[in-house]
Amino acid sequence: MLARLIPFSLALALLQVSLRFKDEGDLARRLKARDGGAMRELYDRYGRLVYSLILRMVRNSAAAEDLVQETFLRVWNRMQGFDQERGALGPWVLTVARNRAIDYLRSADGKISAGTLELDQLEHPGKFCDFEDRALSLDRARRIKEAFEKLTPNQKTVVELAYYEGLSQSEMAERLQQPLGTVKTWVRSALKALREQLTEAAAV
Amino acid sequence: MTCQELRDSYELYSLGLLDGEERREVEAHLGRNCVVCQAYLKEALGVNALMLSQAHEVVPPSRLRRRVLSSVGQQRAGWEWVAALMTAGSLIFALWLSLEKRTADRELSNARLTLEQTVAERNQLEQAFALLNQPETRQVNFGQGQTAPPRGNFFLNPRLGVLLIASNLPALPAGKTYEMWVIPKGGAPRPAGLFQSGTQGTAMHILSGAVDANVTMAVTIEPESGSPAPTSSVLFTAGF
Repeated sequence: MLARLIPFSLALALLQVSLRFKDEGDLARRLKARDGGAMRELYDRYGRLVYSLILRMVRNSAAAEDLVQETFLRVWNRMQGFDQERGALGPWVLTVARNRAIDYLRSADGKISAGTLELDQLEHPGKFCDFEDRALSLDRARRIKEAFEKLTPNQKTVVELAYYEGLSQSEMAERLQQPLGTVKTWVRSALKALREQLTEAAAV
Repeated sequence: MTCQELRDSYELYSLGLLDGEERREVEAHLGRNCVVCQAYLKEALGVNALMLSQAHEVVPPSRLRRRVLSSVGQQRAGWEWVAALMTAGSLIFALWLSLEKRTADRELSNARLTLEQTVAERNQLEQAFALLNQPETRQVNFGQGQTAPPRGNFFLNPRLGVLLIASNLPALPAGKTYEMWVIPKGGAPRPAGLFQSGTQGTAMHILSGAVDANVTMAVTIEPESGSPAPTSSVLFTAGF
């Protein structure tokens, strides 16, 4: 009985994944064709994630709303560089959102153009190709959350400073008043732990 | 550095947080289209996307959706009411304009009518003066000595025609008009034009054109469209 159920549930999961990605490719195709309905769908799919991320980073709801708008406008305007067959919309949209928030934080700190060009290159839609089908799946999200919870307080701090405040390792060292080498160790060990958790999940 | 040694750098690199020397190393590997490093980069982008999706979930205000869609021209951002209001306003304005135009047209038409009447009256007066001013014009009066009679004068100029000036005319029944007749000696009455009286029962009427010098003039009340021959008793008459 179990032997019969497992292949069936596995097939169902695979079918769902393939349907979701077919759907995502179709969404990307429609976005490239400037289909307004597709933009509504994109917002309904990622709007909450984007807003939550940006608000977490800038901690100001009015600024967050501006930045969410900028994010979707940028995605809309750069859609032509996106590969609808191989691209992953979610990771790209989230990266664009983070970079908008980082730009805002840096300009608020008086570092207006520092790294802006670099961020621009790093969020090029062409880079978000050939992701795993499950790039933002609930399972992977749960696993990375668990992995994060297992990090030491110092590792958690540096990971948050990197992802949500956009600090480089030397900036972290300065902020935390720790030697750069120590900070680098925390950062690398933390990222390795997160990555390995996902790799293990993929191997299961 | 080897690819393996750089593996822990790709998350920071793709977040734009890698410092100088390390960043150059990563870029050098990626620039050579190193397959291993490309794979590490994808892996790092995946980790980053998942980390970025971990923010405590907050529901955005509904206006934000309208705003976002509006910024890419896909929603009217709640401005539908403005458009509707403008449309309604335009319609009301158009209606008002059309009413105004109709009123203006009516006033213009009335003014034209008044002008036409004034011009006609002036022409009639000029004709009357011209006829009265001729030495060969003769005058006969009527209604003298009668009680509340129509009274007045016929002026005849054989070359110019006949002028009638009357007063005390009885009010006309609805659908009726006065008709003047020229009655040649020994002949049947010939129609000589229709006319109406003023509010005081006064009237002036002209028959233009050559007329026999010894005709009899008469006036009867006839149907509005006139009659080829008198159909009612004579209201007043006078002979030359």
